[in-house]
Amino acid sequence: MITIQGLRKCFPNGLEVLRGIDLAIGDGEVVSLIGRSGSGKTTLLRCINFLEEYDAGEIRLDGTPLWYRAATGGARTRMPEPAIRALRQQMGIVFQQFNLFPHMTALENVCLGPSFAHKRPEAEVKALAQQLLERVGLGGKMRSYPYQLSGGEQQRVAIARALAMRPKVLLLDEITSALDPELVGEVLEVIRSLVLERMMMVIVTHELRFAREISHRIAYLSRGQITEIGPPGELLDNPQDSTLKEFLRRMP
Amino acid sequence: MLRLLLQGAFYTLVLAVAGIAGGTTLGLLLTPLGFLRARPLRAFYHVFIFFTRGTPLLVLALLIFYGLPAMNFSQGPYVAGTIVLTIYSSAFFAEVFRGGVLAIQRTHLESGRSLGLAPLAFLRRIIAPLALRYALPPYVNVCVMMVKASSILSIISVWELTLAAREIIERTLLVFTALGIAAGLYFIMCFGVDRLGRRVERHLMRRGFVGERV
Repeated sequence: MITIQGLRKCFPNGLEVLRGIDLAIGDGEVVSLIGRSGSGKTTLLRCINFLEEYDAGEIRLDGTPLWYRAATGGARTRMPEPAIRALRQQMGIVFQQFNLFPHMTALENVCLGPSFAHKRPEAEVKALAQQLLERVGLGGKMRSYPYQLSGGEQQRVAIARALAMRPKVLLLDEITSALDPELVGEVLEVIRSLVLERMMMVIVTHELRFAREISHRIAYLSRGQITEIGPPGELLDNPQDSTLKEFLRRMP
Repeated sequence: MLRLLLQGAFYTLVLAVAGIAGGTTLGLLLTPLGFLRARPLRAFYHVFIFFTRGTPLLVLALLIFYGLPAMNFSQGPYVAGTIVLTIYSSAFFAEVFRGGVLAIQRTHLESGRSLGLAPLAFLRRIIAPLALRYALPPYVNVCVMMVKASSILSIISVWELTLAAREIIERTLLVFTALGIAAGLYFIMCFGVDRLGRRVERHLMRRGFVGERV
């Protein structure tokens, strides 16, 4: 499970993007983060993977503090790089812009992480990658390069690549926002199947219908704080926070 | 006459290839310095580029030609010529490669980071292939420049195409014929380099190196 306590982050220009985030996500739980652009939801997700540094607060994975170590006098220092790498290998992240490596085939993209991170024999990694690609419905496109794949297919490869790390948690950052509408369904279908497998997921999304369907809880962020959190039915149908009401009114 | 010029062209080609090979190697060693956090090394990189690029090739050639014997390293004009081209082109190549690294999308770097790749794997599997791909067109550019720049070496008595042409002119006074053929030979060589670059580029395209626009 992941516990986040008192997370704060300032951008260099002085803007406070995260102003004290507390959030606990249990094993097998799916939590969606919604909110206006600029509310800090993507930054929060990126902090969990340490693609962004943060100024205060703590993130723990299964009880182990991540990314920073307490130093003497209340200060803190970044963990050494190898430790950071080892922790990142326990998480998977999928980005809005697919981000597949253009010079590698679908299969190579999926194999890259585990073959270096887990130091497993080549054949074993390949078998795992093939299995994952088949699972996301791309068994026939393993040798294709990203430019030969549609956006939806690329995003499914990206999901397979994240899964290949055997992550404890999957972080999804607006994974359907850059897709043509008719390709959204195939990607969401893959995510649905992961919910059934009780994969812990944190999802930043604008698709409220989808968030309602698969989330155990939805958190609404406003100006760097979680102002409301709860089961989808409660939060979406009976919002308490006034800005959330306004936000939901404007969403289609 | 043609035989002499062809012989000269051969020497030009050998010099250019040696200079390009040396310059590429030195450039590849220099480029990482431009990205290091250590200030002194980064400063060294930029100072080296600044002075090497800012010196006229002719001046650099004379400097090395007369400088090497002064340092008790006298190996004749060909070695001196190769060193000149190596040093001169290394500054350009290093910047070409640095540009290639800078062209890598942040998103690809983040993907690599999120996979927890170790530095060496990161460099080998992601940074190097992408940076070299982006650097290819300007790299070919510098290679073509080097073929022609080798003509400067005639000033330090390196016998190559330009010197061959001048010899013929002195003997026969056929100025335009000799220079015309020499120019044609330079053109053919540069054209060949260009074609070679294109072929590599096309090959890489099939290997997925270009985004959607193929």
